Amino acid sequence: MHIMEGFLPAGHALAWSAVSAPLVVVGAMRLRKILRDRPEARLTLAAAGAFAFVLSALKLPSVTGSCSHPTGTGLGAMAVGPAATSVIGTIVLLFQALLLAHGGLTTLGANVFSMAIAGPWIAFGVWKLAGKLGAPMGLAIFLGATLGDLGTYVVTSFQLALAFPDAVSGFGGAFAKFATIFAITQIPLAIAEGLLTVVVMNALAGRQIKTEIRA
Amino acid sequence: MIEADRLAHASRWRRLPLAEKALLCLGLLILAMALPPWPGAVLVLLVASAGAVISGLTLPTWLRLLAPPCFFILTGAATLLVQVSADGIGLAADGGIQAGLLLSRALAAVAALLLLTVTTPMAELVQGLRRLGLPVELAEVTMTTYRFIFILQDTASAMHASQMARLGGDGWRRRIRSAGLLAAALLPRALDQARRLEMGLLARGFDGSLRTLMPAQRVRPWRLAVIAGGLALMAGLSLWI
Repeated sequence: MHIMEGFLPAGHALAWSAVSAPLVVVGAMRLRKILRDRPEARLTLAAAGAFAFVLSALKLPSVTGSCSHPTGTGLGAMAVGPAATSVIGTIVLLFQALLLAHGGLTTLGANVFSMAIAGPWIAFGVWKLAGKLGAPMGLAIFLGATLGDLGTYVVTSFQLALAFPDAVSGFGGAFAKFATIFAITQIPLAIAEGLLTVVVMNALAGRQIKTEIRA
Repeated sequence: MIEADRLAHASRWRRLPLAEKALLCLGLLILAMALPPWPGAVLVLLVASAGAVISGLTLPTWLRLLAPPCFFILTGAATLLVQVSADGIGLAADGGIQAGLLLSRALAAVAALLLLTVTTPMAELVQGLRRLGLPVELAEVTMTTYRFIFILQDTASAMHASQMARLGGDGWRRRIRSAGLLAAALLPRALDQARRLEMGLLARGFDGSLRTLMPAQRVRPWRLAVIAGGLALMAGLSLWI
């Protein structure tokens, strides 16, 4: 869920940017090292970024009747690793803000944190953990992508609740409000994204495509 | 085809220096964030809309661009209308005012940013970021990503059209499957495309940078001064009212 331009108060917007910036810079430094060793990797990375952008424009059927789109963070984290995903995700979020007016510059930091940092790391962690616990590949991918997707919404609810605490019940009430609204629309969507990611990963395994950039 | 991008290339302000447009639009964005929503945000919204019309957009086009973000902001702002307490859920006392203020601030900010994107092509924006200190490698990845977007979008929409023509959108299960197959078919294509481009570039002595020419534009200090003055006037006016 993108937080729209101007939605967060200035202080919150700055604070989330300050939280996200170092993490993206660390990812960027790692990326620069990869690019210096292999200049041609930038084309693969760019293709992956453009893929994520186009994928986010893909309409997924959602049970509530509205259509929404996958975040692609789980797929990204499993395919190229969470550190590289944070940088590519930032680029994609910037394009979404500029070209589609979806998200924004002032809320870029908050959006980067929920969708390019928290989501990928949760997806990656769950996917690895489920694999270690002996879950079959399909189930591990499904859990990773679904929980990664849900994780981004929980983080977004948290960010919104911090910015707009409820007049009576404060942060807790606001978090419940935002999370409930998201739960109605996003739980089916997260499950859809999980299934989608399994279909993609299966098809990719069938083609024996190896992604080159592992973090 | 992305509408904001098409409009940027056809804009009357296309040839104006980036510094002037950036000062105006980012200045408006900062005003939208910093000033009290009434009347600051309303002023910003009006000025940004006027700018869009002067730069060559028709009013319906501008409103059509603003509509989807407006819808998202509305759904978010709606949560401020209700409050949760020990007794249950009720309408918040001043929720309507809060939501209205939030809506106007966010809408003004969106309009300010949108004015920048419908007047300035992406290549220029990335060069601006480059001048502000974005490392060259990241600028290149960003621009290459931008170029790939259009190629992949064409491919994806062709795939989508042929899936729909084969009843791929019939029912929820099949739509998930179609979307998954589309994504799965698109990713290898994107990577293949990247590989072919890379081989073609290597054969031409690719060292990692893709330089492009930009039309030279001279920044005129008096125009910057006028824009800054106008922004200051807006700030003064809305603080005074």
